[in-house]
Amino acid sequence: MTNRILFPETNIVVPSSRPPVKESDLQGSAASYAIHLRDVSKSYRETGFSLRNLNFVVKQGDFLFITGPSGAGKSTLMKLVYGAERPDRGEVRVGGQNVANLSGNRLSMLRRRLGVVFQDYKLIARWTIAENVAFVLRSQGVPPDEIQRRLTPTLKLVGLQNKADCFPSQLSGGEQQRASIARAIVGSPRLLLADEPTGNLDQDNALQVLSILKKLNSLGITVVVTTHDLHLIKMGQAPVAKLQNGQLKLIPPADAST
Amino acid sequence: MRMPSLPMPLPFKVTVTQVQYLLQETVKGLQRGSWMNWAAVSTVTVLLFLLGLSLQTNWQINSFLTQAGSQLEISVYLKPSVSGATLQQQIQQFPDVASVSLVPRDRAWRELLTELGTTDLQGATDALGQNPLVDELKIQAKQADQVPKIAQMLTNFTEVDHVSYLNEVMQNLGQLNRGIGKMGWAVIGLLTLTALAVINTTIRLIVVARHQEIEVMQLVGATTTWIYLPFLLQGILFGLIGGGVALTFMATARHFMQQLLQQQPVFLQVLAKSLQLSPTQLWVLPLTILGFGSFIGLTGSFLAVRRFILR
Ligand SMILES: Nc1ncnc2c1ncn2[C@@H]1O[C@H](COP(=O)(O)OP(=O)(O)O)[C@@H](O)[C@H]1O
Ligand SMILES: [Mg+2]
Repeated sequence: MTNRILFPETNIVVPSSRPPVKESDLQGSAASYAIHLRDVSKSYRETGFSLRNLNFVVKQGDFLFITGPSGAGKSTLMKLVYGAERPDRGEVRVGGQNVANLSGNRLSMLRRRLGVVFQDYKLIARWTIAENVAFVLRSQGVPPDEIQRRLTPTLKLVGLQNKADCFPSQLSGGEQQRASIARAIVGSPRLLLADEPTGNLDQDNALQVLSILKKLNSLGITVVVTTHDLHLIKMGQAPVAKLQNGQLKLIPPADAST
Repeated sequence: MRMPSLPMPLPFKVTVTQVQYLLQETVKGLQRGSWMNWAAVSTVTVLLFLLGLSLQTNWQINSFLTQAGSQLEISVYLKPSVSGATLQQQIQQFPDVASVSLVPRDRAWRELLTELGTTDLQGATDALGQNPLVDELKIQAKQADQVPKIAQMLTNFTEVDHVSYLNEVMQNLGQLNRGIGKMGWAVIGLLTLTALAVINTTIRLIVVARHQEIEVMQLVGATTTWIYLPFLLQGILFGLIGGGVALTFMATARHFMQQLLQQQPVFLQVLAKSLQLSPTQLWVLPLTILGFGSFIGLTGSFLAVRRFILR
């Protein structure tokens, strides 16, 4: 199949032979959902926290905010999606695959198809920003020249082209968060999960991160962002789901504060 | 719907980048590592040095035994004041004896003094009062297995004071060799366990120190093999470095011994030849040491990460 570069500034390659997804496809096949939660329950015995019978769908190409008070289980929900936690019951389907059934190399392969931005960045301190971002590709056996070809535009996209050789400790919080985004997207994932990506940032940095996430969404990447930042939600102009009392429900954005 | 995509990842294809990364990480691991690295390397070094030494000594003694064994010679020392000439005739008549040669005490004394570096024959003799040596007969047997029988017959002569033959010496040496061998293997066995434990602990501590990094690697889709291979390689590197140092020690020791022997009297210089290793042994020794070192390193580090890899 021949690939066509649609977005020269990011070098993200789009398979040209893939037909556009129709609404009927979305309804017909669970595989076309980016995320599909089915009767998902998860509880922590130590703290007594629990998510109960979650049913929820995120469609391909969506941008979704998940909000809720601190301790509502937003991070836990994300972990269920990227396979860091397993549900007690139910199915967590990502691109049609039930994450709960995956382990070992098959889980690694799934994680390569989604990008995760962590609230605490999770950058490796002894590596430079470039090394941190390149690691994702290196571990997949991408050749050096191809890594270089992807690295430069990715760092540019998050505005870190001049900090490539800095270590994480030499960057500000906002810059580290953007490095974390760069790492999450360098492998061209279809789905991007961002867990409170602006939690530690000031307003300016937060909006900068938001605009990067929106831009990625405009490139066709499904983006799910957890946040309790009402201002961000207001600026985001996107659907909002609220996690409260172990339940996840879509709400009108204007109601996010209640 | 637009769908960005990477070329499909090939999880089990190893590329140049991957090898490069693994080696880099391994070397960094060594550089970063604390004194524990050195504990591991020195334990392995001591182990491999002893292993090499046992192997080498075993070869050397065997080589000495073979060289000496081909001579089939019996030495007969006569009682003082007995002349060897008549006995020489008699023994010559034995059916199993190939030849008998006489070493008169005067000649033996002169040779000994020369070997000891003295030329003043008269002075040395005067100092002792007389020539302290006795006449000696050197008897070649026709066949090796007749040597003990001939030796037994020779002891029955009243003129004979003492009979010695190399089989006896070789038997003792052979026993010594086996004795050293058993002790050597016991020590090597114990050291192997120690080395395994030290490598295991070292790698385990490094894994624990890096558990956050490892978690991040897992979260961004690195496979278990990819994450833990540098630790295994680091274990192997412990073995290879230890082996290299041990081999250097051994080569130096051999060289030193040989130089020492060259300054010794002629009869000791024969030993120097036994100390040399054959061309095959010169290959087998480093291969064994490095091979065993890598094996110990790999096993030790595997034990440390086993529960993660086999999960
Ligand atoms: N590993 C864990 N073990 C036990 N309890 C946990 C664990 N992780 C989170 N929790 C509990 O689950 C609840 C939800 O946590 P989290 O998902 O991090 O919330 P949020 O991200 O919405 O702030 C919290 O009450 C927390 O104490
Ligand atoms: Mg959280």
